Amino acid sequence: MAGLATGQSIVVADKMLESAGIKVVQDEVTKVDPVNKTVTVAEGRVFSYDKLFLATGASAIMPPIEGKDLAGVMTLRGLPDAEKIKSYIAERNAVNIVFIGAGFISMEVASLLVENMERKLNVSIVEFMNRPLPLMLDKDMADVVQAYLEEKGLKIFTGEKAEKIVGNGKVDGVLLGSGKKLDADLVFINVGARANVELAEQIGLEMGRFGIKVNKYQETSNPDILAGGDCVEKINFITKKPTPGRLRGPAVMQGRLAAKRLAGYDIEFPGVLDAGGCKMFDMTVSATGFSEERAAEEGFQSVCATVDSRSKHVMIPGMKPWKIKLIFDKKTRKLIGGQIVSHAVAPAKEIDAVTAFILAGKTIEELTTFTCACNPDISSEPSAEPITVAAEQALQKLKL
Amino acid sequence: MKNGEKLVIVGCSGSGGPAAMLAKKLMPEVDITVIRKEEFFIVR
Repeated sequence: MAGLATGQSIVVADKMLESAGIKVVQDEVTKVDPVNKTVTVAEGRVFSYDKLFLATGASAIMPPIEGKDLAGVMTLRGLPDAEKIKSYIAERNAVNIVFIGAGFISMEVASLLVENMERKLNVSIVEFMNRPLPLMLDKDMADVVQAYLEEKGLKIFTGEKAEKIVGNGKVDGVLLGSGKKLDADLVFINVGARANVELAEQIGLEMGRFGIKVNKYQETSNPDILAGGDCVEKINFITKKPTPGRLRGPAVMQGRLAAKRLAGYDIEFPGVLDAGGCKMFDMTVSATGFSEERAAEEGFQSVCATVDSRSKHVMIPGMKPWKIKLIFDKKTRKLIGGQIVSHAVAPAKEIDAVTAFILAGKTIEELTTFTCACNPDISSEPSAEPITVAAEQALQKLKL
Repeated sequence: MKNGEKLVIVGCSGSGGPAAMLAKKLMPEVDITVIRKEEFFIVR
């Protein structure tokens, strides 16, 4: 979307697969015969298999909102969508752009458009929840993001419902529940995705609430068929309950895990933490595990701590502030979530340490002795190491 | 999987490409075919 890379450079090239000895067929699979173990494509060719791996992905959800079929109402999942959006903006000289849903795709695309377009855009973001990035951040952390983005010129309408998209053949506005009308040359809808399971249903595979049901080895209810990525239902690492978990990280790992399973390895997928990141202008946000709000919804009584930190030692030029929030389960004292809002890119990756600690079942007490790699140019002072300081704060809160 | 057996991968989500590449690396003698309807493999 930013125009920083060509389409071809960001896709897995057929040449890469073919030079490894993999055959690539561009066609739609219309039928799988699980008894005779064959796959039929639209043009009629039939492929036999010993093992089948389904990676059919997910499609953007288009909510049943009036006006969704007007020209200029779009969603984004892949490169062709991005190219369509860019062409539409250029051809129509679009200035007023409304995003419905303040998830990470909306926020990144909105900031990229404002940052990279020569003309000044009027960008509005409408979110039903009370904050942007509601699946990643609690309100206290999201407020920092919202204030920064508003300073950059984005208009963010939280706690608002997009009631209707209006226009005559093509979109010209969005009517909100409050009665306000936003002018729109383009409406971008980002309210989630749904697993593509038509083929799996046709085969008769067991389905879960969020997609194809698989075991810890990516095996479906048919022993010769495995599946992975956005089309399968994931299991949350903390609760062990089904979850959509449609992010690229687990998709890649599940594909690789399925390959290992087929090669004879017995490695189990541990479940997902929905770890993800989002970059908007010079601000980077990352999150993993549960937010404080989600933890409460899942029945956890949590103890949380938020710490302000620095990307470098305070005396080093170029130091940028960042902030981390950790969420602990009060009962077990285990870490169950983390959020980072940073004005530098590098600190946002400290979320991977948080993920590792959650996977390892680390407690408040154990994290009070965590020692980071430290250097004036790459980290805060050791005395201000935010994960350790946050654990100490949580420890104190438990004593109160 | 045994040498000479056939693995068919349907789709080009973030899972299909990595599954194909690692399967070929771990099982060079397995016959692997990736079938996708999209023009490109999807990436974010």
